[in-house]
Amino acid sequence: MVFWIVLGLLTVIASLAIILPLSGSRREVAGAREHDIEVYRDQLAEIERDAGRGLIGKEEAAQARAEIGRRILKLDTNDQNGGHVPRDNALVRGLAMAAVVAVPVMSWGLYSAIGSPDMAGQPLAERLAKDPASSTIDELVARAEAHLRANPEDGRGWDVVAPIYLRLDRAGEAATAFRNAIRLLGDSAPRWTGLGEALMAGSGGVVTTDAAAAFERAAALDPADPRPKFFLATAKAQEGDLVAAATDLRALLSTLAAESPWRPVVEQTLAQATAEAERRAASAAPGPSSEDMEAAAELSDAERADMIQVMVERLDERLRENPQDAEGWQRLVRSYLVLDRRADARDALARGVTALGTDTEQARGLTAFAAGLGLGEDQP
Amino acid sequence: MVETGHFALVLAFALSLVQFVLPLVGARTGDARLMATAGPVAVTGFAMTAISFAALTVAYMLSDFSVLNVVENSHSQKPMLYKITGTWGNHEGSMLLWVLILTFFGALVASFGRNLPATLRANVLAIQGLIGSAFFLFIIATSNPFVRVSPAPIEGQDLNPILQDVGLAIHPPLLYLGYVGFSVCFSFAIAALIEGRIDAAWARWVRPWTLAAWIFLTGGIAMGSYWAYYELGWGGFWFWDPVENASFMPWLAGTALLHSAIVMERRSALKIWTLLLAIMAFSLSLLGTFLVRSGVLTSVHAFATDPARGVFILMILVFFIGGALMLFAWRAQTLTPGGIFAPISREGALVLNNLFLSTAVTTVLVGTLYPLVLESITGEKISVGEPFFNLTFGPLMVPLLLAVPFGPLLAWKRADLWAASQRLVFAFGGAVLVMLVTYSFVDRASVLAAFGIGLGTWLVLGAITDLATKSGLGSVSPGIALRRFAGLPRSAYGTALAHLGVGLTTLGVVGVMSLQTEHILTMKPGESVPVAGYEIRFEGLQPYRGPNYTEDQGRFLLMDSSGRTLTEIVSAKRFYPARQMPTTEAGIATRGVSQVYVALGDAVDGGGIVVRIWWKPLVTLIWLGCVVMMVGGSLSLLDRRLRIGAPAKRRKRLAAAEATA
Amino acid sequence: MMKRKRKRLTIIAGGLTFLGAAAGLTFYALGEKSSYFYMPADLTTASIAPGQRIRLGGLVEEGSVERGSGTRVAFGVEDGAGKVKVVYDGILPDLFREGQGVVTEGTLGGDGVFVADSVLAKHDETYMPKEVADSLKAQGVWQPE
Repeated sequence: MVFWIVLGLLTVIASLAIILPLSGSRREVAGAREHDIEVYRDQLAEIERDAGRGLIGKEEAAQARAEIGRRILKLDTNDQNGGHVPRDNALVRGLAMAAVVAVPVMSWGLYSAIGSPDMAGQPLAERLAKDPASSTIDELVARAEAHLRANPEDGRGWDVVAPIYLRLDRAGEAATAFRNAIRLLGDSAPRWTGLGEALMAGSGGVVTTDAAAAFERAAALDPADPRPKFFLATAKAQEGDLVAAATDLRALLSTLAAESPWRPVVEQTLAQATAEAERRAASAAPGPSSEDMEAAAELSDAERADMIQVMVERLDERLRENPQDAEGWQRLVRSYLVLDRRADARDALARGVTALGTDTEQARGLTAFAAGLGLGEDQP
Repeated sequence: MVETGHFALVLAFALSLVQFVLPLVGARTGDARLMATAGPVAVTGFAMTAISFAALTVAYMLSDFSVLNVVENSHSQKPMLYKITGTWGNHEGSMLLWVLILTFFGALVASFGRNLPATLRANVLAIQGLIGSAFFLFIIATSNPFVRVSPAPIEGQDLNPILQDVGLAIHPPLLYLGYVGFSVCFSFAIAALIEGRIDAAWARWVRPWTLAAWIFLTGGIAMGSYWAYYELGWGGFWFWDPVENASFMPWLAGTALLHSAIVMERRSALKIWTLLLAIMAFSLSLLGTFLVRSGVLTSVHAFATDPARGVFILMILVFFIGGALMLFAWRAQTLTPGGIFAPISREGALVLNNLFLSTAVTTVLVGTLYPLVLESITGEKISVGEPFFNLTFGPLMVPLLLAVPFGPLLAWKRADLWAASQRLVFAFGGAVLVMLVTYSFVDRASVLAAFGIGLGTWLVLGAITDLATKSGLGSVSPGIALRRFAGLPRSAYGTALAHLGVGLTTLGVVGVMSLQTEHILTMKPGESVPVAGYEIRFEGLQPYRGPNYTEDQGRFLLMDSSGRTLTEIVSAKRFYPARQMPTTEAGIATRGVSQVYVALGDAVDGGGIVVRIWWKPLVTLIWLGCVVMMVGGSLSLLDRRLRIGAPAKRRKRLAAAEATA
Repeated sequence: MMKRKRKRLTIIAGGLTFLGAAAGLTFYALGEKSSYFYMPADLTTASIAPGQRIRLGGLVEEGSVERGSGTRVAFGVEDGAGKVKVVYDGILPDLFREGQGVVTEGTLGGDGVFVADSVLAKHDETYMPKEVADSLKAQGVWQPE
């Protein structure tokens, strides 16, 4: 309401600026000639001043005076139109009326077309201070951010805002928030899982080494939590180790309660992993066959370990015979690492690089891959 | 609040149309009441524009992200100063500032122009109204800063970091005050053409406006140049960038106008030429606005690259320049010619000044527009840069600057060049001495460098000679000379100071261009390098966190040759996360009028960092000279000659005349 | 009267000579001192005199930036249809990045390596040197977002 009153007031002021002079008394307007004489008079005075100060010579001053005198004379002979004679004609009155009407009509018309009169101003401070129940999630986050900027050591604040960031797809900020929460409030499985998820989201869904480390921390802290295990299994699948992924997923599935919301997700991923593994087996890749995998799934832990050992040895032998297989070398290096045989892994890496040609794209890819798994060349 | 501003903007547009039509018709028909509307409407239009601008500024200050313009150019964590300056740090806001200044000048003419002939005043304000309505329409149609967004985002996108700087906070307003100030001269010229006569007061009225616009433009250009110098990290003060040229051309034309208006006022000669210059000065300002705002140029200033805007401004440009020149061609003949003068005279010197300055404008114009024209005709892309301007602009300036000290010493109408030369003997001798000393004792000084330094000295000493001669030093006793010196009109000081400023700027430009040294090297903490007799030691890099940026600060110690620490220089590489943008913050230490300039490059392996160090001799004189020019201009503006007879007195006299009649 | 007319003629003639000289100088300078803009693809077909200053624009080739000793740096400039090696001694602009638009000015050496004495990068993250943007758009390499 106040807004409309202000608009009305502004319109009235603008109209008055036109109406008042129009309704003023009819004044005689001084002619241009009068003004000119005023100026010449002033110029004459200036010449006197300058001459008095000695800025211009006597002769020069006399000349200048004569020149101005001539100009004044010329004015008298030349200039007949003294003051304007005011005329009162219909055109003028009509125009004045039109202008008085045009200003409000035009401004209100134009404003109604382009303005947003129903939108109040939304200063940030006000938005952040209003009742949280009516705030949007952005506003809540901004409020929390403002709070955390002022109190960066408030672990609880970071803990609250972190999952929200994650849900808003602000992965980088989510990771920072989770890290801060862990730093200030200590370890907890959900925080580490959250950090892992944030890192994963930040790298476009790929479980990086950092993310995997976070999930492992979480799994260690709360073995009952299915999420870190699920993501770790995903990590294996992403690395191409479908057998291990499937095994882990099966193991995870067996621990999940029937009504667990994670069941369908895990089942679906498991199905995908097995299907993918079968596809690879079908395309005659000399990796572990699906029979092997199924067999492995049914074996006891000890037996499974033995079987994996055997499969790795088989892979190793095959690569000795047929070394031009970059993917094979990657699998071998990773397998050794999974089995915690770092020396063998390093050896496999070295052999792979030699076999592929030291300076080739493939060799570099292999080195990078190994480095990604934590096997740097410079490490002992 | 925001919407009130939006409405006020629309209202100001409507008022500007009224301001155009009513007074113009009034002046034509001789209707005093229609003419009388001009003043109140102009003042009210200014008030409305001010409300509108204030509303936008408040939206920036309060981070109202329901305004699209604020979202695009602000950030809640930005320091308050830059929130405010962000208002005009973008296309829409800066156009609003443009019309704010335009209506402000209109209001000034309305308030202080009561002693002008009524028809002239009405016509001038009508033309101001016409210019205003064109730009209001432009803002409303293509660049409305009050567009809202719903739902409002919670954070803005931040102002371009290189624009977050105090220098840039005042650069655009100063520049606009200059550009738009010429609109008043333009309106006076058009009004004179419409009426077909030039009142005696015309030049007296145009000159202060030209002076005011020129002072602001000088300040704006100097500020922009200094900003580019310390913010872009290249250590250059002038790049002959098209946008710089766009502000330089109106300055050159304005300088010419400033001088020709003197001739017109004193001798009522050069009327037509002065009129043309007044039109050109504003046309070049409009061209500058067009070049900067349309996006036809690639530049840091080209924030807006919306073709519709470019076409719109081009239309405004064609309408005003084309219209004005047509009117000029049609009506200029009706103006009566003025006094005559000999070639060697004050008038002659001022004509020479105009000849050189307008030719200089033309070369800059050609250099700026030629690539655009060539590309639109043949599709070939060329760039015209410093080498071109050094070859064309340079040779034009040298004779002009050589002639400057003579001008003020010549008498009106017919002068004695020999007498003036005799008075300048000391200045000439001093300049030659400085030239020889520079050439013999300064390392690396070439003949050209020595000549340039000599030229600057010649200008400075010439300006001093001017004041000394005017005080009668040498011909009267020192006491009287001192008294006469104190009693000189302010415009005499103004002239001398402005010419002195030109000399200082020349010294600075020559000093930097010919005597600066540059060192590019990799430095590790603890290492030091000798620069121009100083020793600069790199202390190390330190991270630092600003309000909306993080930076690595490189700390350097400036030491004299004996190892005494003189000052610390901090140079930084800054990073603004909101725009993911790095900037270089140069570290500058001023020694006398020279500077040591340190910029950081990239870090190299092994803990070192690439460092670029310049020794910039006399560099601050470039801007100091501009400040002196501005002071000179201001003194001239305060001269009582520019105040015209009081209106009250005249009205009384008129009444008395009526009574006796 | 005649004398005055002749005087005026002399002045006008002087003025015209001056303007003519200025115009001549301007056009000479335009021919000599302006530099043409090329993209890497144009360089193969264009005939460029050795030592002629030109501007070369394009995108900084990914993975091509090699830092030499001190402030020497070499990088590739490409436009999708060709690429040119550029060497430069100096500090690169803040916003010089691989895969981003750049304009360099200098001379093309006989060995096909471009020796730049100035390198301009964009001024902010949405800015692309106009010449580069136009040419790249024409070739369909770059799409403004």
